[in-house]
Amino acid sequence: MSIADFMKRFPWWHEVILGVLLAGLLSVVGVVNPQFLNLKGQLLLSRHLWEFALLALPMTLIILTGGIDLSVGASMGMCAVAFGLCHANTGSLALSCLVCLLIGTAGGAVNGWLVSRMNVHPLIVTLATYATFRGLAEGTSQGESYSQFGDGFSQLARGMWWGVPIPAYLFALMAITCALYLSKTPSGRYIYAIGHNELATRFSGANVDRLKFRLYTFSGFMAGLATIIYVSRFDTAKADAGTGFELDVITAVVVGGTSIYGGRGNIGGTVLGLLLIHETRLFVSRQWQIEELRSIVIGLLLIGSLLLYRVVRPVHRD
Amino acid sequence: MKQNLMQRSLNSQECRTNRSASESSPLPLREMDGTVATINRWLSRTIGRALAVFIVVACLSDCSGETDNDSGAASPGGGSEKLTICLLPKIKGIAYFTSCAEGAQAAADELGNVELIYDGPTDGDPKKQAEMIEQWTVDGVDVICVAPNAPDVVANAMREAQDLGVIVLTWDADGVENARSFFVNQATAQSIGQGMVDAMVKDLGGPDVEGDVVIVSADATSANQNAWIDVMKPALEKTKLNLVTIKYPGENASAALADAQDVIKKYPNLKGIFGISSVSFPGAAEAVEQMGKSGEILVTGLSTPNEMKRFVENGTVKSVILWNTIDLGYLTILAAESLAKGELKPGDTTFQAGRLGEKPIEGDNILLGDILVFTAENIDEYDF
Repeated sequence: MSIADFMKRFPWWHEVILGVLLAGLLSVVGVVNPQFLNLKGQLLLSRHLWEFALLALPMTLIILTGGIDLSVGASMGMCAVAFGLCHANTGSLALSCLVCLLIGTAGGAVNGWLVSRMNVHPLIVTLATYATFRGLAEGTSQGESYSQFGDGFSQLARGMWWGVPIPAYLFALMAITCALYLSKTPSGRYIYAIGHNELATRFSGANVDRLKFRLYTFSGFMAGLATIIYVSRFDTAKADAGTGFELDVITAVVVGGTSIYGGRGNIGGTVLGLLLIHETRLFVSRQWQIEELRSIVIGLLLIGSLLLYRVVRPVHRD
Repeated sequence: MKQNLMQRSLNSQECRTNRSASESSPLPLREMDGTVATINRWLSRTIGRALAVFIVVACLSDCSGETDNDSGAASPGGGSEKLTICLLPKIKGIAYFTSCAEGAQAAADELGNVELIYDGPTDGDPKKQAEMIEQWTVDGVDVICVAPNAPDVVANAMREAQDLGVIVLTWDADGVENARSFFVNQATAQSIGQGMVDAMVKDLGGPDVEGDVVIVSADATSANQNAWIDVMKPALEKTKLNLVTIKYPGENASAALADAQDVIKKYPNLKGIFGISSVSFPGAAEAVEQMGKSGEILVTGLSTPNEMKRFVENGTVKSVILWNTIDLGYLTILAAESLAKGELKPGDTTFQAGRLGEKPIEGDNILLGDILVFTAENIDEYDF
């Protein structure tokens, strides 16, 4: 097998490129500002990442089927208001968390029902629910913000277990579950099949509608989970929770090598994409102290990664 | 459409034949595919070259950037005795805070040993403020001066910064009690309330003027406004002016306008309107102007000079009350530096503030104290 042949067949190009980019970034940073690589600081600032990371997992699965979920950020707003209202009326944190998860799941189920049973394109469905959820959140709360959930609760997002932030355990658990589901279970494999050719997957006997419904519902559930972390981190539940998250999450998934047309990508790539974006952001705002520069650099990173994949043109892999 | 897209992304021989078999008209698709393949080849060639150039350029600029930064950014915690002070406004890019930053920079230049970082969210999102505080904390800056947009949201980040050895103070707006050492308070309720009454009496022609006045506030629950009203009521009782009513239009410009129109119609002996929020002040002035009462009914209150310039020029408003924002930024940086050096300590009752002279400290509030009155004579000197 010639080298060119090997390069063409090598299935891990995304991961290698992302790994090299990440290593490159960290080494440049290490030279420019060695203090940046300080582990304690990195762990502390990692809390800017966890909500995105949790949302990126279901987003990867959905994009793999060729779909998309634009409503995750708005769904967080709705969950946050549900959380705040519940806490204001009952004073129970556990109940508030439960309500938050339930509302998120219900919102996701609405998406799933419209996509799978009504056969509307997910872009349209979630664009509509994106507006609806945010509107519901703002209308119900009238812009009120709920606060002071106690020190114990804010430890959920800010605290550490054995030197590792608590949300990291949650993310690791969910990421491993998703990765195993995707690679080891029949329905996980069907997700790739749907992305490649939905009609053929239907003819092969898979229950595509049910699978899609479950994926969007799962996405809603994760929005609820991310909201709990988010509310805990800022000690505030307000209708504007998660504003603009959907775009950042999709960016991370696409930078992570998942094809927006579906059928190609994996959880590992998404994790690398998340890390790359997170570190780039931290570095940019740290080095230049200009808040707006972050979004410019993320945009450039997205364009750059797409061009790069175009050049390398990875072989088709499931 | 979808099929075309998928074909572009997959672009492999088996897929193409597969699809052709199931497709009703394979021919146009196949032609399209040929074009797509050509475009793809062309794209990868040109993009490959462009990327190579881009990477080289990026590397070069990175290297040049590095040397720049090595000289500049060595300060956080460094041995050069230079203090890094971060000034976090509620919103970056509005005239009010930009003028504060001007004063802050002047203070940093005057002190010489201060590196000033002025940055904040352009949309006023308090969550971004919290993340910026966390980032600065990890950077190991010396002092963070916060103008919190929502005290609860930034409280945890501020406490954490303090736990990790960063000095935190608030300015312009106060934060949660135990999350900061000092609050640089631009003006007390006493000086603002008294200042507005004094300005009104003076503008109407002296202490012997009689007549009715009204207050147009914000919400009935607005803490700042209520504190000022508590000062204004007894102050007005000492004059011959008669406070007939207080209106609460909320932070709503059209409601403020309507409320002002109502009181003008209702009280024929009305001499003056206090518009005590940045919304109700221009609203009340607008109402007086629209009803052709400019000069007969005077409006005064709290706002920025640029917003009120028009009304001052046409005589509807004679005095605009605010504080000197440039001095506020200046005082904040001086206090921050002094705290970092250990010269300013809790319990102090005065603070020596450079060109501003000695400033009083009440509890943990450093008072800028004096209000600034903008009139037709001086309003053009200020641009914010």
